[in-house]
Amino acid sequence: MLPAKIQDRFIQITVDFSGTITGIDAGFFVTDKFKIGDSVYKTCPFLESTLDSLPLEEWFKMDAMFLNSKDRDYSVDVELFRDEDFVSVLIINRTNVYEYVRELNQNRNEISIVKHQIDRQNKELAILRRAAEKATEEKSRFLAMMSHEIRNPLNAILGYANIIANDSSCPSTLGYVKSLLMAGNNLKVIVNDILDISRIEAGKLELVLEPTSIKETVEICVRDFELLYKESKVLLVSTISDEIPAIVMADAVRLTQILSNLLNNAFKFTKRGSISLKVRVISTSKETSRIEFDLTDTGRGMSQDQVGKIFNEYEQIELSDNRIHGGAGLGLTIVKRLVESMNGQTTVKSEIDVGTTFTIQIPFKNIAEGQKSEVNSQQLEIKKQDLNGAEILYADDDELNHVIVAHILSKEGANTTLVNDGLEALSALQNKTFDIILLDIHMPNKSGTELIKERHLFTQLNATTPIIALTANTNTEDIKKYINLGFLEVVSKPYTPEELIHVVYEYFKK
Amino acid sequence: MISKKVLLVGNFGVGKTSLIRRFVHNEFSEDYISTIGVRVSTKVIQTNKESLKLLIWDVAGTNGDQTVPKAYFLGASAAMFVFDLSREETYINIVKQIDMVKELSGLKNIVVIGNKRDLMTADKLHILLEKVDVTIDFITSAKENENVEDAFKLLGQQSLK
Repeated sequence: MLPAKIQDRFIQITVDFSGTITGIDAGFFVTDKFKIGDSVYKTCPFLESTLDSLPLEEWFKMDAMFLNSKDRDYSVDVELFRDEDFVSVLIINRTNVYEYVRELNQNRNEISIVKHQIDRQNKELAILRRAAEKATEEKSRFLAMMSHEIRNPLNAILGYANIIANDSSCPSTLGYVKSLLMAGNNLKVIVNDILDISRIEAGKLELVLEPTSIKETVEICVRDFELLYKESKVLLVSTISDEIPAIVMADAVRLTQILSNLLNNAFKFTKRGSISLKVRVISTSKETSRIEFDLTDTGRGMSQDQVGKIFNEYEQIELSDNRIHGGAGLGLTIVKRLVESMNGQTTVKSEIDVGTTFTIQIPFKNIAEGQKSEVNSQQLEIKKQDLNGAEILYADDDELNHVIVAHILSKEGANTTLVNDGLEALSALQNKTFDIILLDIHMPNKSGTELIKERHLFTQLNATTPIIALTANTNTEDIKKYINLGFLEVVSKPYTPEELIHVVYEYFKK
Repeated sequence: MISKKVLLVGNFGVGKTSLIRRFVHNEFSEDYISTIGVRVSTKVIQTNKESLKLLIWDVAGTNGDQTVPKAYFLGASAAMFVFDLSREETYINIVKQIDMVKELSGLKNIVVIGNKRDLMTADKLHILLEKVDVTIDFITSAKENENVEDAFKLLGQQSLK
């Protein structure tokens, strides 16, 4: 006799081939569902159409069948044995076991479905990322190409304008040249703005932190704008607090860019009244000084809606702004991004027909007393430029650039040998010793990069001569590539005479 | 009245239980509850000649290379292979899976159903139909009650052959 605990877990019955129960043989599992004379299909629909097909005189198993009951569902394993006249049906209750299996299965399936969804989303993201990367690459390539194509002629325009400005004493000519220089410099700013925003977006903009006088940087910037807008009816007023540290660590070039963009913007949209720049310290600690630049104009002002958009790229408040005021609509975007890269904040308040106030706060690192003298000594060295007797080789396929470089260097007393490509440069280098080699990159026959790779062919005459690249390729990757190839410095076109002389002198004196 | 045992097979989560619930009870639930083993539902349908009682075996979904126990096919008159139109892994090996069902069941023809039409755009569906190497008998949506009745009617007709 089996224990009741076991007998409660199964029932064995006998049925005929029409499904009618003919005997209850053993067990007490759901006995109320099985009555002699009843159809077994009512409780066990899985037996219908199955009984007829059973193999004769062998046990046949069916696992995990649902047993219909009004009260609850059961999961059972079923064993069937067909004889000539009847079928023996053993039903074993495995509900508890299958409930665990069901839970495990449910979890496994849900995980699998989620995994599939994640896989699909990852695939979609990968496609989007590839498209975005491709678009960015295309954009960068386009910008690099455009930059190169614009910088080269711009270098010639600015170079010749400088030559004329130096050589001419005619007041009207000087006036025209000044306008030419201004327009050229504006174009240079636009090209630089477009490249800057591209670099910032690609996370490739690196700040160059050096000991810097904020006061001097602001004063120079204000002075430049006073000169630029001396005919303007708008009064430019600057107030610089005496509490500002003499020297802090800052990227003076980028700080000037921020202030220039803001001042430029203020002058564009202010027809009368004043533009006021206030610089003050708002907090100091041992490590940093937080300095606020507050620029207020009495210009046309903006609505709140417009204020919300001004930092967007290529945003001009009015459709005509681009045509009337020029620019690519990137100035304020660059301001905001640069300030962010300096861990600072930019805020703006504006009222239509009243004016606008831009407030910038930047934390600058303080520097020790010892470091401050470095600023002054560096500045003194730059003033001592002298290239008297220097032998310089310049290779460039652009004759306009030949004239400009030769003019700049000859004024400093240098002798310049001009060649048209890398092949001619190699020939010159094998026959004469030079103090400095200036190479354009893109040249026919042999490029600047091809030439530097053949340095072993220069012979002893120029084995250690410093090589400087003069190029319109100015993106960070290009510059890194040139430095890795052996160029000691890369001078970006368009350059000013001072920039070129300074770099040449740096390597000549060594 | 004739009774015929028919089976629904396919990967887990393709909507076999939902198709049966829609067909038998005209109900649909977004909740996914895994089926373990077999639950049998019945529904009487009208064929051209007579009433036919379908004993519809809702067989637990398989995963990967798992196969349906051969015992379940004993006495089966027809089978429906269901796949999820929105999940490639449920039809990527469809030819192999259907051959396996034929082998286990001894059936010559299997009704093939692509379910979850409601999750597909027309473009995606068009691309998918070009990728699937078998004839799909019906594209269904248990949720939207699209082609469900027709799919089971075809299954019933198959069971009489």
